[in-house]
Amino acid sequence: MARKMLVDEEMNQTNQEEAYYDFDLFVIGAGSGGVRAARFSANYGAKVGICELPFHPISSEVIGGVGGTCVIRGCVPKKILVYGAAFGSELEDARNYGWELNEKLDFNWKKLLHKKTDEIIRLNGIYKRLLSNAGVKLFEGEGKIVGPNEVEVTQLDGTKLSYSAKHILIATGSRAHRPPIPGQELGITSDEALSLEDLPKHAVVFGGGYIAVEFASIWRGLGANVDLFFRKELPLRGFDDEMRAVVARNLEGRGINLHPQTNLTELIKTDNGIKVTTDHGEELIADVVLFATGRLPNSKRLNLEAVGVELDNTGAVKVDEYSRTSIPSIWAVGDVTNRMNLTPVALMEGTCFAKTVFGKEPSKPDYSHVPCAVFSIPPLSVVGLSEEQAIEQANGDVLVFTSTFNPMKNTVSGRQEKTVMKLVVDAETDKVLGASMCGPDAPEIMQGIAVALKCGATKVQFDSTVGIHPSAAEEFVTMRSVSRRITCSGKPKTNL
Amino acid sequence: MATTSFTAPKLSSPTFQTLCRNLPLSLPIPKTLSSFSFHLSPFLSRFHLHHHHPTPRFHPRRLFAVRAESENGAEPLRHYDFDLFTIGAGSGGVRASRFAANFGASVAVCELPFSTISSETTGGVGGTCVLRGCVPKKLMVYASKYSHEFDESNGFGWKYDTEPKHDWSTLMANKNAELQRLTGIYKNILNKAGVTLIEGRGKVVDPHTVDVDGKLYTARHILISVGGRPFIPDIPGSEYAIDSDAALDLPSKPEKVATVGGGYIALEFAGIFNGLTSEVHVFIRQKKVLRGFDEEIRDFVGEQMALRGIQFHTEESPQAIVKSADGSLSLKTNKGTIEGFSHIMFATGRRPNTKNLGLESVGVKINKNGAIEVDEYSRTTVPSIWAVGDVTDRINLTPVALMEGAALAKTLFQNEPTKPDYRAVPSAVFSQPPIGQVGLTEEQAIKEYGDIDVYTANFRPLKATLSGLPDRVFMKLIVCAKTNKVIGLHMCGEDSAEIAQGFAVAVKAGLTKADFDATVGIHPTSAEEFVTMRTPTRKIRQSSESQGNMGHEAKTAAGV
Repeated sequence: MARKMLVDEEMNQTNQEEAYYDFDLFVIGAGSGGVRAARFSANYGAKVGICELPFHPISSEVIGGVGGTCVIRGCVPKKILVYGAAFGSELEDARNYGWELNEKLDFNWKKLLHKKTDEIIRLNGIYKRLLSNAGVKLFEGEGKIVGPNEVEVTQLDGTKLSYSAKHILIATGSRAHRPPIPGQELGITSDEALSLEDLPKHAVVFGGGYIAVEFASIWRGLGANVDLFFRKELPLRGFDDEMRAVVARNLEGRGINLHPQTNLTELIKTDNGIKVTTDHGEELIADVVLFATGRLPNSKRLNLEAVGVELDNTGAVKVDEYSRTSIPSIWAVGDVTNRMNLTPVALMEGTCFAKTVFGKEPSKPDYSHVPCAVFSIPPLSVVGLSEEQAIEQANGDVLVFTSTFNPMKNTVSGRQEKTVMKLVVDAETDKVLGASMCGPDAPEIMQGIAVALKCGATKVQFDSTVGIHPSAAEEFVTMRSVSRRITCSGKPKTNL
Repeated sequence: MATTSFTAPKLSSPTFQTLCRNLPLSLPIPKTLSSFSFHLSPFLSRFHLHHHHPTPRFHPRRLFAVRAESENGAEPLRHYDFDLFTIGAGSGGVRASRFAANFGASVAVCELPFSTISSETTGGVGGTCVLRGCVPKKLMVYASKYSHEFDESNGFGWKYDTEPKHDWSTLMANKNAELQRLTGIYKNILNKAGVTLIEGRGKVVDPHTVDVDGKLYTARHILISVGGRPFIPDIPGSEYAIDSDAALDLPSKPEKVATVGGGYIALEFAGIFNGLTSEVHVFIRQKKVLRGFDEEIRDFVGEQMALRGIQFHTEESPQAIVKSADGSLSLKTNKGTIEGFSHIMFATGRRPNTKNLGLESVGVKINKNGAIEVDEYSRTTVPSIWAVGDVTDRINLTPVALMEGAALAKTLFQNEPTKPDYRAVPSAVFSQPPIGQVGLTEEQAIKEYGDIDVYTANFRPLKATLSGLPDRVFMKLIVCAKTNKVIGLHMCGEDSAEIAQGFAVAVKAGLTKADFDATVGIHPTSAEEFVTMRTPTRKIRQSSESQGNMGHEAKTAAGV
């Protein structure tokens, strides 16, 4: 099949003398995007090789593992810890439902950690099998680009392998980085946070993004004292402002101390723990300090500049709409391109790449209406535009529908926490531009809503859908009265 | 508007005389009249006055044209106490009343006094859903789910020195406090909307008059929304059985329960009692639970419930209940006798509450199941009398009653004749694990469309890999081969009910499988599986020719 592909390609490019390559495609990095692209390319008949660093829960320049961030150091272990942590409040809520539990519940962090590691090892194995079942040849070692059609893999024993490939795909992902403050080496990143020996008693989290609020929720749920520091007024910059406020309120309601508009300036090791100093002059002692201040693309050791692959100023590989770099035979997908850093987006990019290059069907990933979730406790999930984005982009008026309610479960448990849902609608076209929800099950609920939004569903179509009773989700189809109408009068209206 | 009340028909009352002069509707309506009026369009609802027309054999349309003209002339409209009188303040009744009031109508609603157990004389504002259905059921589901969560939490590092025990009375007290709160809220909602609430048993006296415990109220329109009640078949010892009303308010934990029936109520209660650590036996007449649901879902939910410890007795019909000296109950079936039950619950269906409402005598037609017959606009055979919700036995779900109530208010008082739309109504079964679904079952889809593609996923969710419990999730998409439209979606597993709602919007909007595929997943969730189903599990083709190809196609696809 590989041969056939080559022949086809030759026929399409008769002006170009076709050389013989060891592989039709060589992928560097076996995470979500790389594995997807490799498998699908192989299914199209391409001969595919892929290299990945050896497995370990904590990544470095020379450590990684088949499965990548999502499986080993991201989505999966994170969600496992969120499940574990959510039991803390679940069990509290059980009491008013008549369950008699001990005053103090026993939680064994080592057991959870051990089972989490077992699970990611299992998944690592599954990913390897997926590759071999698809006929993809896996190499363990560090990949480097030597030329537009040549890669070199340094194996664990130091021996180097060299292969030619018609196409090279960079899918090396990204890694957490630490801010350059004194004592930063005393802090940890999300990699280590997913594999801590002991559950922190007092954790300091620095950052306002989704990783920061997720870890704050995890540790708080498991009983730690948590202080969350972030630079803006509210966490989760880029999300709908109203929903950001809801998340902040919920985090506080669950007992997390929020420190908005605050930077950490220094970490010092003391006998009692790490002394944390802020730019407001506060001092705290913590046993764990997590930096969740951003991630950087893994583009340094790939020798990219030498072969002419352009990077942007954050170190991300520059690509066109088809994920092609400045070198026509070299492509890149996933976090290393820093477009939209989500597993399902990397999968989409990987799929489109395979279709474009080996499926004879040039395909651009479509970044509109990509839903996403923040697994804080309770979680936030959104799809489409925030209210602020909608106002900015709309030609006419924007209608905002919101619903704030006490989830039924809380009526008996007594938990004081409201669920908030929101629909942003274009007044002129009636199209639902954005949906968000913060409350239990939000990510599960939002997926179906995302299908509707992706296909341009109108508010009338939402309203004509009958509810599922009693559910939280039914609120999305029963929002009858508009909470506010925002007149975007300052903007020129194209139809007037 | 003030409530005018009449004791028995005092014909000397000037108001009543005026009424009679304009519209002697207290007279029994001749059968011929009530049957022709059945076909009236709701647009003409305000011309209902013609029932007493002396020449009823006119063609209805013509008759109405004539009368409409005359009414557009100078004939004064009859005065009524209310524009709408609603009997029954459950989901449908409250919705219709509130909306009608919002549209400017004067509205009264009557409801029986509150009790957790319904009867001819007890009910309560809020109705079945709030007091004896969805809400208390879901609260009990929440309570009972914990035992599974305790088991799950073990796998996540949580430990209990002593096995968590459940205190039944705490749950009942907290549940009932919530029901009291909700019935209060519903009363408030009515009050705020300006609806007059009358406590008592409403009965239709004539097409425009309702009697509530002896007081008479006239109304331009009467709405029957009295709902349904559980039905226990008449077998020896049936007096020892309980129904779902009682099951939601037991004074103490049932130690060993039999639930009789294979419908959603039976399964939900089986899950509730099982979770609250009772020994549970389910007796079903058929081979499988949940008749009418997708066959694969029926199999799957039965297996999952059995794995959680529920004992199923299939093809086993109860014949008698015997109470032994120690107070325990035995259930005799066609296959034998099982002893030692503390409770035997019948979930063998519900019947519309149409008895003793005076319906037959005013000419409202009732079908053989006791349900009120209505047209597409919820109009009964008497043009001024309407019915919504379970009493009409269409689709017996709260949100459907709400839809019917809202549509009726629009039809009557907003000059916007509106038919409830029964296509793609999603629903859930709060069994453990729960089911969520919208659209057609595979069997219905084959019947209706012939050629369909079926996508299924049966997987162990992330939570179960850690908990070590045998929980699985089953998902299914049914796609019309010709149009690519998703015509059915089914799921059984955690969060199914919540997950199905958003997809219901998509299915209702007529979206295609390609639209589903174009949507990016939310990772890691169970729901994302619905947008990542790439390969059909099977392709069903009506013609034998394409069926021949099918095996090959399916195989090729499976390799992708």
